[in-house]
Amino acid sequence: MKGINEKDIYTFVDAVSAFFFQVTEEKVEIKTAYLLEGDVPSATFDLTSYITLSGDFSGRIYFSAPRSMLTHLLLLMGEQIRDNDRLLDTAGEIANTISGNARRHFGETMEISVPTTQATDPDWLKTVVSPQSYVILVKWKQYRASVVVDIQRTA
Amino acid sequence: MKLLIVDDSALIRSRVARILSDPRLNNIQLLGMARNGKEALMLCMQHMPELVTMDITMPEMDGIECTEKMIEIFPDCNILVISALSDKATALKALKKGARGFLYKPFSDEDLIAAFLELISS
Repeated sequence: MKGINEKDIYTFVDAVSAFFFQVTEEKVEIKTAYLLEGDVPSATFDLTSYITLSGDFSGRIYFSAPRSMLTHLLLLMGEQIRDNDRLLDTAGEIANTISGNARRHFGETMEISVPTTQATDPDWLKTVVSPQSYVILVKWKQYRASVVVDIQRTA
Repeated sequence: MKLLIVDDSALIRSRVARILSDPRLNNIQLLGMARNGKEALMLCMQHMPELVTMDITMPEMDGIECTEKMIEIFPDCNILVISALSDKATALKALKKGARGFLYKPFSDEDLIAAFLELISS
C-alpha cells in the first residue's frame, strides 16, 4: 500500500477498539494486523460494508461481520428492530465510524464516501482487495469480525 | 423544543429518538427524521425545528451544506452535528457554517444527553 505505514494501520486498530468499547463496554481482542497475501484465515463474514476514499487517498476500508455479532450488538444498544436491513445499516455505520475516526490521524484530505453494504460469501474480500491489504481481525465474545484496509496515498 | 434528526443511518436515527425518553430531555419533542440533507431541508421548511441533530457524510446533500442552508433560512436553529469525522477541520467547518455543537461518533447515551442539555442551556 503506497505511502501507508504501520502507524497508519494502528489508527484503524484504535478506531475499532474504541467503537467496540463504547458499545459493549468490553475490550475486544485484536489480532495483530497482517497482510492479506499468503495462507491466512478468511476475513469475510456474512455482511460486509465498505467506505471508498478520495481526496489525497484512494482505495477502500472494509468492515465484515457475522449476522450473529451484529444482532448481539443491536441487543446491547437496546434496538427493537434487528431485521436484515437494520443489520446491513449497522455494518455500514461501523465502517463509517471506523473510517471517520481515522481522519483524526490522516486529516480532512482523506475524503470518505457513504457506506456500501452487502451480503458476502466467505472468500469475497480476497477477490476484490489487493494482496497488500492489511487485515485486522477482531474477536468479541465468541464472534469474529474483520477490518480490511486497502488504501493508498495519491498525493 | 421541536427536534429534527438527520442521519442516513436508521440505527442512529432510532438511537437518538430513543434517548429522548430520558426525563432530563422531556422538553424536547421529536418532530421528524430525515435521511439526507435534501429531506431535512424539506422537513425544515414545513415544520421549522428549533433543534437539529445533523450527520455529515450523507447521500444527496451532506451535513455541512445542509447546515449552511438551514441556518440561512432559520438563523436561530440549534444544530448539533453528530459525526464520525473526528478531525478538527471538519468540526470547525461545521461550526463556521452555523452549527452550535459537535459530537463525535461513537457516543454514549450520556454523551448525547449532555450535548442536548448544553445546547438547550446556551
